This record gives sequence, structure tokens and C-alpha cells, in this order.
Amino acid sequence: MTVVRQYKADLWIGGGLCAFCAFAAWRTLNIKQVVSPTMAGPSFVPWLMVVVIAVLALCLIFRGLRRAQMAGAGRSMSLPDRRSLLRIAAFVVLLVGYAGAFYPVGYIPSTLVAFVIGLWLIGERKIWVLVGFPVVMTCAVYFGFTELLSVWLP
Amino acid sequence: MPLRSLLLSKGDALTRRFIMETLSYLVPLFQVDVLWTIALGTLGGLVIGALPGLTATMGVALLIPLTFGMTPVMGLNMLIGIYIGGIYGGCVSSILLRTPGTPASAATVLDGYPLAQQGQAGKALGMATIASTIGGLIAAVVLASLAPQLAGIALEFGAPEYFALALFGLTIIASLSGDLLKGAISGLLGILIACVGADPISGISRFTFGIQGFASGFAFTPALIGLFALSEVFTQIERMASKETPVSLVKNRWPSMAEMKESRSALVRGSLIGTLIGIIPGTGSGTASWISYNEARRSSKTPEKFGTGHMPGIAATESANNAVCAAALIPLLALGIPGDVVTAVLMGGLMIQGLAPGPMLFQTNPDVVVGIFGGTFIATIFMFIFGMALIPVFSRILMIPRRLLTMSIVIFCFIGSFSINLNPVDLYTMVGFGVLGWGMQKFGFSQAALCIALILGPMLEANLRRGLLQAGDNVVEFLSGPITLLFLGLTVLSLGWPLIAKLLARKSGPRPELTE
Repeated sequence: MTVVRQYKADLWIGGGLCAFCAFAAWRTLNIKQVVSPTMAGPSFVPWLMVVVIAVLALCLIFRGLRRAQMAGAGRSMSLPDRRSLLRIAAFVVLLVGYAGAFYPVGYIPSTLVAFVIGLWLIGERKIWVLVGFPVVMTCAVYFGFTELLSVWLP
Repeated sequence: MPLRSLLLSKGDALTRRFIMETLSYLVPLFQVDVLWTIALGTLGGLVIGALPGLTATMGVALLIPLTFGMTPVMGLNMLIGIYIGGIYGGCVSSILLRTPGTPASAATVLDGYPLAQQGQAGKALGMATIASTIGGLIAAVVLASLAPQLAGIALEFGAPEYFALALFGLTIIASLSGDLLKGAISGLLGILIACVGADPISGISRFTFGIQGFASGFAFTPALIGLFALSEVFTQIERMASKETPVSLVKNRWPSMAEMKESRSALVRGSLIGTLIGIIPGTGSGTASWISYNEARRSSKTPEKFGTGHMPGIAATESANNAVCAAALIPLLALGIPGDVVTAVLMGGLMIQGLAPGPMLFQTNPDVVVGIFGGTFIATIFMFIFGMALIPVFSRILMIPRRLLTMSIVIFCFIGSFSINLNPVDLYTMVGFGVLGWGMQKFGFSQAALCIALILGPMLEANLRRGLLQAGDNVVEFLSGPITLLFLGLTVLSLGWPLIAKLLARKSGPRPELTE
């Protein structure tokens, strides 16, 4: 675990939210306008949200700056260490790959591969668990959903 | 005989017809397959809730696909069973492991774990089961009596009232999320995300980036599966290195008469607090159990015993959190506004069955509404039976290997997200929301506020724009109705709530904290 000060995290998040608002504002400009008898067109609520989020993000930054000046600089928060972060990043990549393969490759082969790699990534090393459990689980789930619950799977 | 004399004395044929119709709607609930489904749902929910890291929200979100082929009454009652079982199941790991199975059971740790250390884990679980049952049954009675009345009133609501109600639901969840600023940002972000797809009034597409799959916005259920189930998978991966806590031994299960008598007032008060909090849109079991615990301690003659393994402490928290389950269905069914995060996911289950929650549901599908009322009672009774019967084996449920469980959840996340629309884009939506949910959790942003905003956002936008159109852009006219003003007043009150709560807390002393 890596420990960081809450105010530092708030400053970074506030900055990120401001950047996001700038992006969202640019995309909101691209929303087509229609002839309407009211001021509340298709971009009314998105604009409202973008502006209010930007204001609140600035509030978050100011709060962070105020806390930074306080004695002890406020509370701390724990974030995953580099190793855990890498493991989670690898897991996300696996999930994106699994999402891409699920429909074109089919449920059984894609799930089997994702299951084995996923178990390995989260630290399972016993070979019979690494291979046996995914096979049993994948097939049991397939049978349960397609045969018993009539849910179609690719 | 009393019922007959009542009917005859009133001479009201309509009342008699109403009762007969209601009874006829309850009959399907007692078919063997429906009872089996509710029992399985409750048992499944209990196991899910008992396992640390798996919440009732996750259980309902993951198991929605199981209800596709079922009738609405069967499918929805199965989900309600998972909900009720899941909230109750959270007490198991709170008491045995000192790790709340669900956020709703966090307050139960304070007295549950000390009791387990004293060798009274079975009795603590027994008290939790009894308290959950009493809380659940009291709230179910309130649900059956209050929801139809509220739906009758809601039929009169127009665009301004629905706008104000949605705004109230959003602000209250933001203010209860611990950090008002971050809660508000989460809620507003949810509304902005809900804007993706076709505009509800003109049909113009917004923020779709030319991707056809986003033309109708982010699919609701995959988003919730990502937010609540997949995000938890990432958290579990993070904790994979930590050692597992040893499980306490379980002996006995029935609290003594003296303990029941001692806990009587905490039980009743907890049930009423849970019911009241459940009715308020956007709140949830976690809030109810903490308020109930603090109230029980405040009104006790022996407040110093709380936190040391005191039965009324468990009675207060467990009766309150389970009362929320049935009570949270009241705003969902009567107003179309979820009472808490789990009912927000349940709303997805209703929509999949082709039903739109709200006052019209009482007119178009009274069989489903009455079926849900009855199913809530039945699921609570099943929860009591399974809870008491399984107390000796709870410690074994907690020994399921975490790695296998984590990967199995991933598979269910994928099947659940895909099978709703058979759309591969929903899988990316689920993964995206999973990462977002995990990040929000890490940095203290409320996932619940984002989730409620995803539901209330479209309702808020459509009613705001429709109302402004009707009022000719006159904001004062739009917001001048008495019910609208009432909800706006409550909105202001809920925004000021963190300040009020701080003042109250300063007055009543510090709240007990869970320490490592």
C-alpha cells in the first residue's frame, strides 16, 4: 500500500475533473441545435452539468489547498502499491481482451482462456485448480444458462 | 367471521371485490415453483451477503439474467429474496470475521464481534436473524399499506413535481455519502453520463462519438454490474495479498428470554427507524443501521455496554437494515424512484420484465404489485428459516477460496452484461464502469450517488425540459406548485444535512469507529 495525503489526491482529481469538463464542453458544442420554443434544448442539461461540475472541481482544489496549509495537512489515504497496480492493469487488459473475444470466438473458448489467465494473474499456482476449476465452472455455467434458464450464449 | 361482518356492515361491494381480487393475486405466489425460486433467491442472497466483499447490490445485479425466462412475479420476487437474504447475510462476516459482509452491517461489527470473541457467536447470529425478521416484517406491513396510498397521490404529479422529487433523491444521496462535495460531483457526473445517447425530447444524439452501440445511451444494467460487481473484483485483487482472518467458532443459536427482553425496545425502534429511512428516496441500509445504533445507545440505561458485546446493539442495527429492504420498495413502486442502491438495480429487473415502476404500475399490473408485497413477506420468512438453520455452517461458507470466487464473479459479470441485450458493446460498458467504480471507491467518491443519478438523470432532464416548455420558460411558474415547493424545501434541507449532522454529533459525543 502507498499512503498519500488526502489533499494531494483532491488536487489531482480536481485538476483532472477540470480537464474533463473542458473536453465535455467541447463535445457539448458539437451537439446539434433544433428550433425550439424553449431555452431548454438538447444541450441545456449537459451545459448545466459541465458548468456545475467545473465549479465543484474548483471548490475541491481550493479545499485541497486550504487543507495543505493546515497543521498536519489533514487525513491520509491508502492507494495500491506499484505491484498491485500493475496486476490490476494487466487484469483490465485481460478483461478488455475477453470482452473482444466473447462474441466472435464464443463463450466456452474465450471464458476458458480468460479464466485460466485470470486465476494465474491473481496468484493461483496449483495446476489442478488452474486448469480443473475453469473447465468445470465454465461448462457448468454454460449448461445452467443455456439448458436450464434458456439464456442464449455465443 | 369478523371480516365477513365488516364487509356486510359496510355493505360495500367494492371493498369485497377489492379483497377478493387482492387474494386472487396472492394465489400464484404459493405455487411450488414460485416458492422454490424465492427460497433459492433468499438462500443465494444469504451466501452472497455473508461473503466479505460480495454485496446485496452485486448479488441482484449479477443474478438479473437468471430472471429472463421467468414470469414477472417469479423473477422479481427472486431478486427481492436475494436483496433481503443479502442484507441479512452481511451480519455473518461482521460477527464472525469482524469484516462487514455488506456496508449495511458495518455497525453490527461493534457488538457482534466482541460477542463472538466471548464464545457467543451463535447467539449473536441468532439475535441478528430474529431482529432482521422482525424489522423485515414490520416494514413489509408498511409497504403493503403505504405504497398504494402514495401511488394514488403520485398519480396527480406533473413534470414540476417529478423534477423536484428527482432533485431531492439526488441531493439526499449526495449529502449522505460522507463528503457532500464529492457526493455532489458523483451525482452530477452520473447525470452527464446519462445524457449519452438520444435526447429524450428531440431524439438528437449526444456524446455518442459515432459509435452505434451508444445510440440509446449506456445500457443501465451492465453499467451497474460494472460499478458494483466488477469494481469489487479489483478491490479483491488488491487485497489478495492480505492474510485471511480466522473464523470464530459457532455454538448455540437462540438468545435467552432475558436477552430478548433487554433488546425489545432496540428491536422496535430499529424497525421503525429502518422503515422511515427506507422510504426516503436515495438513502439506504447503512445509514439506517448507524442511526438506529446511535439511538439505541442514546436511549439505553447502560450506554457504556454498547461496543462491548451487547445484544441490543445487534438488535438495533439488524432490525433497521432489514427494515430498509421492504421500505425502500415503497418509493420505487409508488413513485418510480429507487429507495436505495439495491432497489435501483431492482428497477433494472422490473424494466427487463417490461414493467415501468411508478404509480401507473398499480393500475396496469396490480397482480405484480400485490405479488411483490406478498413475496416480501415470504422472502423474510425464508430468511428466518435459512438463517436459523444455517448458523452452525456459516463459518464454512466463509472458507470458500477468494481467488476462485473472484474469477467466478468475473464470468457472471460478463454473462449478465451480455445476455440482457446480446450486445457486445455492453461488455465494454461494464468493464469501463468497473474501472470507474473502483477509482471512485479509492478516492472517496460515492458510487451510490452516480448509480442513482444514472436512473434519475433522464427523469430529471425530461421533466425539467417538459415543465419549462409548458411554463413558457417561466421558472417561477414552473416551480410554484405546493408539492414542488415541499420537495425543493426538502432538497435544501438535505443539502444542509451534513452541517446539521455535525452539530448533532458534537452535541451527542463521538460516533464509535471501526478500528483495525
